[in-house]
Amino acid sequence: MQRFLDPTLLASISSLDLIAKTVVDGLVAGLHRSPDFGFSQEFAEYRAYVQGDDLRHIDWNLFARTERCYLRRYEGETNSQLMILLDSSNSMQYGSRKPVKADYARYLAASLFYLAIRNQRDAAGIIVFDDEVREYVPPSTRQGQLARLFAALEQAEPRARTDFSKPLAHFQALLHRRGIVIVISDFYEDPEEIVRAMEVLRFRGNDVVLFHVLDPQEIRPELKEPAILVDLESGQKIEVIPEYVTSTYRTKMQAHLEHLQMRTRSAGLEYYLLPTDQPLDMILREYLSLRRAGR
Amino acid sequence: MGFLSPWFLAGLAALGIPIFVHLLRRHVVTPRPVSSLMFFERGTQSSTRHRRLRYILLFALRFCLLLLIVLAFANPFLRLKANDTHGGLLLIILDHSFSMRSGTRFLDAKQQALKLLASRPRSQRAQVLALGGQVEALTEATQDEELLRSALQGIQPGDGRGSFGDVGRTIRALAEKESGPIDLHLFSDLQKTAMPANFADVVLPPQARLMLHDAAKTSASPNWTVESVTAPAELTDPKNATTSRVQAVVAGFATPETEKTVSLIINGKVAARHEVKVPEKGRAMVEFAPLDIGYGFNRCEVRIDGDDALSADNASLFVVRRSDPQKVLFIHRSSDERSAVYFEAALNAASHGAFVLQSITTEQVANLDPEKFAFTVISDVTSLPSVFEHALEQYLAKGGSVLMALGLDAGRQARIPLWSGELQKSRNVSFAEEASTVSQVDFTYPGLEQISPGRDNGGWATAKFFYAVRVDPSHARVAARLSDGTPLLLEKQIGEGRLLLFASGFENLTNDLPLHPIFVAFIDRMSRYLSGSEQLSGARIVDSFVQLRTATNPSGRVTSSEIVDPDGHRPLSLLEAQRAQTFRLSRAGFYQIHFANGRNAVIGMNPDRRESDLELMTPEVQALWTGNNTGQPETEKKTAQGAKYQYRGLWWYVMLLALIVALVETSLSSRYLGTQREEL
Repeated sequence: MQRFLDPTLLASISSLDLIAKTVVDGLVAGLHRSPDFGFSQEFAEYRAYVQGDDLRHIDWNLFARTERCYLRRYEGETNSQLMILLDSSNSMQYGSRKPVKADYARYLAASLFYLAIRNQRDAAGIIVFDDEVREYVPPSTRQGQLARLFAALEQAEPRARTDFSKPLAHFQALLHRRGIVIVISDFYEDPEEIVRAMEVLRFRGNDVVLFHVLDPQEIRPELKEPAILVDLESGQKIEVIPEYVTSTYRTKMQAHLEHLQMRTRSAGLEYYLLPTDQPLDMILREYLSLRRAGR
Repeated sequence: MGFLSPWFLAGLAALGIPIFVHLLRRHVVTPRPVSSLMFFERGTQSSTRHRRLRYILLFALRFCLLLLIVLAFANPFLRLKANDTHGGLLLIILDHSFSMRSGTRFLDAKQQALKLLASRPRSQRAQVLALGGQVEALTEATQDEELLRSALQGIQPGDGRGSFGDVGRTIRALAEKESGPIDLHLFSDLQKTAMPANFADVVLPPQARLMLHDAAKTSASPNWTVESVTAPAELTDPKNATTSRVQAVVAGFATPETEKTVSLIINGKVAARHEVKVPEKGRAMVEFAPLDIGYGFNRCEVRIDGDDALSADNASLFVVRRSDPQKVLFIHRSSDERSAVYFEAALNAASHGAFVLQSITTEQVANLDPEKFAFTVISDVTSLPSVFEHALEQYLAKGGSVLMALGLDAGRQARIPLWSGELQKSRNVSFAEEASTVSQVDFTYPGLEQISPGRDNGGWATAKFFYAVRVDPSHARVAARLSDGTPLLLEKQIGEGRLLLFASGFENLTNDLPLHPIFVAFIDRMSRYLSGSEQLSGARIVDSFVQLRTATNPSGRVTSSEIVDPDGHRPLSLLEAQRAQTFRLSRAGFYQIHFANGRNAVIGMNPDRRESDLELMTPEVQALWTGNNTGQPETEKKTAQGAKYQYRGLWWYVMLLALIVALVETSLSSRYLGTQREEL
């Protein structure tokens, strides 16, 4: 099964639906837990009775044994809301191998949608942005929501450049209900700027997860001879030499990643670096397990 | 400076390759897209400059390498001003061959040579060589004018035959030691016949510049000569019309038809005279018979009366020795009568009474002295009385000759008398099987000599051999072999004498040789060779060699040989008389020779008759020789032609430089690639 989840193989599948199905079906089924405790069928813990508690929740068997009143607490099973903010700037169309970052991000988003809607009955929505909000599908559990989300993903062609500050106002306006906010981007921005933009969402009670999608060549680039490099977003060209790429660039990139990770963690954001050669299911499993462990 | 192959400079277009690779291609870089230039900076580090410097150095090396290779192919040369012509060697070759005796040719040539020698700069080195039967260096390369002049003055007209092929070979050998230019001046009558058949023999080395000085003046002077004389070297019966006669061929070169008087002079007296009509540029034969001569050596000459361009060749000398028939000892087994019969019949048919065969059996030889016989033949006898065998050994050591035939009896014996080698095994072929034939015959061997042997191996191929004894041929000369490789005729030198071994019999049982005509010719030549009578008289060409003794240190006492030349001088010193093995007879006239084995000979020496043809080589050939001594590169030709300039080829240095550059380039580029690998 694993080999079908290789990003390179997924790139050869044209249908996002199929991709998402392939990824999610390969994943161990699991539910994310609600941050609220409820009184459903899944036991969570005992709590001592205090005045005003509903007597229906007292465990009388325990009272009989201990002559003390305890209330049974259960895991609250609620429907969560998944919102994915997908970066569709020009820089996302870079890729030294298949899939390119934009495709990888789409596969990832599609898999998450499939997981959320089909498996967990969660409401899911998407905001596609670059320096503006390009596409918005509000979260919903209605029939055909998954198709709408996939259509939005299909239409998310890279253009313009990334800017987190401008779409931020729109994010706040569009995200009414708290839930899980997943930001998928290559984050070519100052970490401070990124965190400043995202922690606002966090303050509103959202679980913010940053998926940092990068091509392996961006992390450890190789250059055999001096070359002219073109910025996909700005169109700027500069000549660089192999020595720089193999030494200083790597150092700078590593520092950037560490800085970004440190700042996001300190701001209470989840951060995951996703090289495009990493299988998707593994990322999802890791993410879900981390979510479960985190609660 | 110039280029000998300038068209190779078109290869300079290849210089575009490194320019393209290093300079042009670097600028045509396809831009590579990246997500962001956020972490990139322009390459301004110091290592870039080093890298670029290394690129430029690599580019320069590759550029130089290609340039040098192209230059090497273009063959550059440096035109240096010759220090002076005095730096070269002046070679003066004076032809003193027999044809230079014609008119004043030799004197004129010598005067011209002396004049050239006097006009040369004092500082120039010179060397004098004489061209006769061989090229002799009379001096070393020296500036001593007196020495050079005296060497030139000392050259006298000779009787040898000059060959320009010898000149070419000598100069080529000289040029290997002489690095500078050689100015070669040849003073000669430039005879056409002196040119070798192969022109490559006269090609001179590149640094030699040839100047021909024609001493002949006129192209072709009419000249008659006695081209050849056929006369018996030895005569036993002057009245025998078959042998007692002299045949002479008179030839004319560039001559009109005319009548000439030809005389036969014996011991200074005119014995006969004949008129003969010689056709225009043709030949005519004169015969003198019978030959009335006395006992001993008779000095004869055939002479054309009258004068012509080269009067020295009007006479042809020869010596006829009259003697009584010589006895030949033939030893055979009592049971073997056939071999003696066959041998005697052949000997009588061939020698016309010059030899008398004395045939005896082995039982009768005890008291015989072999020295009383011209030679001894032992036919299929493997056991001789020890006294006689010892006498034969003494006889051989003193210069006697023994011919031994091995018949059926020899195969049953373990050893052969006189022959030190052991018998290997006999080869007996039955009549039912295919017999062996003679497959290899050394026609240069005096006993088997034939000038132009026929396709049937000179007549030997038809003879069948059914039986032959295989003898170890070591230390012996094998003159003939059978088809299975068995040596048939072997000769071994023993002291001053010679022992010949015929590995089969002389009867018709072991082979059918006695039934073939070649047997008579074989016995004829063999008997003359064994008796040595051919060496004792007759005529030879000037510059022939005579063998004075067979070994340097013969067993027994040391005997001296002696030579008296035509002028009555003794050319051998006392030491040479005791040690010299051969002697070159370099003068025309009668030589008296006393051989180490005690025999005396008188031999008439005649110049090579090709010297009598005074026709000059054509101007085209002269021009080809002097001007186009090519087959050499252009630079070398220029060296020979340019008197004022010296051309030095540089391609070798250029190639050496290219090699060094290639090594440096290889080292640098491998280091560069190595760095790249480490980085990856």
